[in-house]
Amino acid sequence: MQDKAKNGGSKPFYKNSIWYFFNSLKLTLFVLITLAVVSIFGTVVEQNLPVEEYLQKYGEKWTSFILTARLHDMYHSYWFLALLAMLALNIIVCTFERFPPKWKALLNHKSEKFDARLIEKFANHHVFDVAASPEAVKERVVNAFKRKKFDIITSGSGKEFHLYAWKGRIGRLGSDFTHISLLLILLGAIIGSFAGYKDFRAVFVGGEMSVPKADFRLKLDNFWIDYYESGQIKQYNSLLTVIEDGKEVLKKQIWVNEPLYYKGIRFYQSSYGTAWNRVSEAEIAVQTKGRSEHNEPMLVKWETPTPLSGTKYSVKLIGYAADFAYDEGTNQVFSKSAEAVNPAVHLEIYDGDKLISTPWLFLKYPGIFPAIPGADEDLVFTGYRGIMYSGISINKDPGTNVVWAGSIVMGLGFILAFFVYHRRVWIVVRESGKSTEVKLGGMINKNNLVFEKELKEIVESISSEKAGGK
Amino acid sequence: MILSLVFFTFSFVFYLVTALLYIGHWVFKKKWIGQTATTMAFVALLSTTMILIARAGESGHAPFSNLWESMMLFVWATNAGYLILEYRHKFRAIGAFVMGLEFIAMISAFMLPYRFKSAEPLNPALQNKWHWLMDVLRPFGLEKYAIGWLDFHVFTTFIGYAGFAISFGLSLIYLLKERSEASGTKGGIMGAFPEARIIDELSYRAIAWGFPFLATGIVSGAVWANYAWGSYWSWDPKETWSLITWFIYAAYLHARVTRGWRGKRAAYISVAGFLAVIFLYWGVSFVLPGLHAYAS
Ligand code: HEM
Repeated sequence: MQDKAKNGGSKPFYKNSIWYFFNSLKLTLFVLITLAVVSIFGTVVEQNLPVEEYLQKYGEKWTSFILTARLHDMYHSYWFLALLAMLALNIIVCTFERFPPKWKALLNHKSEKFDARLIEKFANHHVFDVAASPEAVKERVVNAFKRKKFDIITSGSGKEFHLYAWKGRIGRLGSDFTHISLLLILLGAIIGSFAGYKDFRAVFVGGEMSVPKADFRLKLDNFWIDYYESGQIKQYNSLLTVIEDGKEVLKKQIWVNEPLYYKGIRFYQSSYGTAWNRVSEAEIAVQTKGRSEHNEPMLVKWETPTPLSGTKYSVKLIGYAADFAYDEGTNQVFSKSAEAVNPAVHLEIYDGDKLISTPWLFLKYPGIFPAIPGADEDLVFTGYRGIMYSGISINKDPGTNVVWAGSIVMGLGFILAFFVYHRRVWIVVRESGKSTEVKLGGMINKNNLVFEKELKEIVESISSEKAGGK
Repeated sequence: MILSLVFFTFSFVFYLVTALLYIGHWVFKKKWIGQTATTMAFVALLSTTMILIARAGESGHAPFSNLWESMMLFVWATNAGYLILEYRHKFRAIGAFVMGLEFIAMISAFMLPYRFKSAEPLNPALQNKWHWLMDVLRPFGLEKYAIGWLDFHVFTTFIGYAGFAISFGLSLIYLLKERSEASGTKGGIMGAFPEARIIDELSYRAIAWGFPFLATGIVSGAVWANYAWGSYWSWDPKETWSLITWFIYAAYLHARVTRGWRGKRAAYISVAGFLAVIFLYWGVSFVLPGLHAYAS
């Protein structure tokens, strides 16, 4: 059961009822089970949706409950974090309380009182006679244990020897390594949430992006998609250049699963698309009003004045909206989505140097508004070449390495806790009539089956004739 | 003709025969039936290995990327784990439960719709390979078979599942055996099993393997996520369920090591833990939305 608070002497000031509350293993079980149960809610209620979707799914009453209990962002809610904090405190207090005495006991284990009567009380014990002198039997015992990689010490002489053998002491520290590793992982998560950030940039091919809280910029040299022969998408790639103090210092191709890491910040390939507010060029054709067909279209480059052949006008392409929409409040044109649902281009039309018109032309609705009021010619928008952008996630998380360090410590802890067992065996070798009596018994901290087998083998090798040979 | 499916058909029959043999051994207590059962379990293991190898050849990558492939890995790991247990402890009767479970897994894999079975090239998010391993394999022209964090993640997770599955089988046996011991019957149908106390210990040992492997699976999954999505933990349902499952087994270990919960109560937690594993593996993919869904 649990360690009792040993009274006697004055207790340190911090050993109050709160301390003992957190020293409890019942609390551990309670917190672990509670965390498991509440986490289920977080997987059933989809996290971080817009409020309308909760309303639609759960109705008004449940939605207000979800929002109040913060079930929509549960893993960041105060009560969930409080549970994690309880687990952490629980671990800290337990470690403080149990580790020092355990450490001392492990170091001083040899001086434990040797009580020959106790040997027969162990679940694992053997009593048997060997036809040889005590001295010779003692040698056999020592060799048998050494062969099984035990350490062993001897005391006594002549007709009676007391021996103590042990192995795998360090396994006892496995649980402490494990617990400390959990604290490290939590620490890493905390560092990440305070000192790190996440961000996102969409960059056009050829464009540059700024990086928050950093003294460098990135340029996107290229973006492309690789395909399998079957036509399925194989990989998304971006070629990035790091620009620092106006100089190009590093070039790297990134793809999903291969981020760029520079000065503690990672850049991930996370999405791509065609720009919704820019094109590289548009096809514009001249049409005489009243006619149904138009002339051969001309290519008009972005923001480059281009004369329209056969007319006195020239045009400049200054805007694009993939999914045209108009906000009457602000008089602004914007794109309702990133999809090319209703593509439209914005032109400036010049007569010589004079700006005479700034129409929007629609790919799907040619001629609904005249491009040049009062002129004989009209313009139609017949096609365009979009610009690819690459979506780059930016992530700075200085806690990550602490988390990995914690994971490695946890691995060590597991190896010690689950695969290194602490065995202790006490042995009495005593003259008894013409032969020698051996009493041995002991214990293992776990995996008794291994221990039973091991002890049997040791007993056999002590009693058998060829044992103990040099 | 898809070779991996041919081997699957063979394995299906092998697991049926193996399970029947182990049950026969359990009921009739004939030694030769037991030895034949063990031999058949080996044959089934080899045949499952061939499924995985053939599939790697067909898909051009390590065979851990869809539901069917992962089922084969589960069957493989459970079979291997069981044979190690049988070799170390020389108990055969447990095989009836474990191989029965294997056969059920084969039936479920068989019933999966084709889209969960077919060999597909890897989508962009699943292409994670260790550069050092590619460098090692390149001289032999085998670099496309290099594995990475993702494969390591799936592999370790499934060894964990296999440990839990074996512990589950042992816990069921424990509960039956405990009842028959309590009623004082020595022989009978439960007579073929070792003492309840030993079954309890073995069940704990199986969890002592499953627990660290599931942890390794969770951590390596986090390493991969950190490469692929830009954060090592995002509370997606699969991640969360793996943590839930892990916590249940952590509770098992603590109740056992520090509060002396053994026997029945331990067996109940182990059964609950395995139900969580089944949900983690199948339920999450089909019921809950998320990044991991093998089913999507
Ligand atoms: C998620 C949380 C935790 C995990 C994953 C964890 C993990 C472990 C593991 C793996 C062991 C070794 C078990 C074995 O040997 O079979 C262990 C033992 C132990 N844990 Fe925890 N632990 C957690 C939380 C805690 C907390 C909060 C406490 C504080 C009361 C605690 C106290 C103990 C004790 C006293 C032992 C036994 C130590 C020994 O036998 O040497 N654990 N834990």
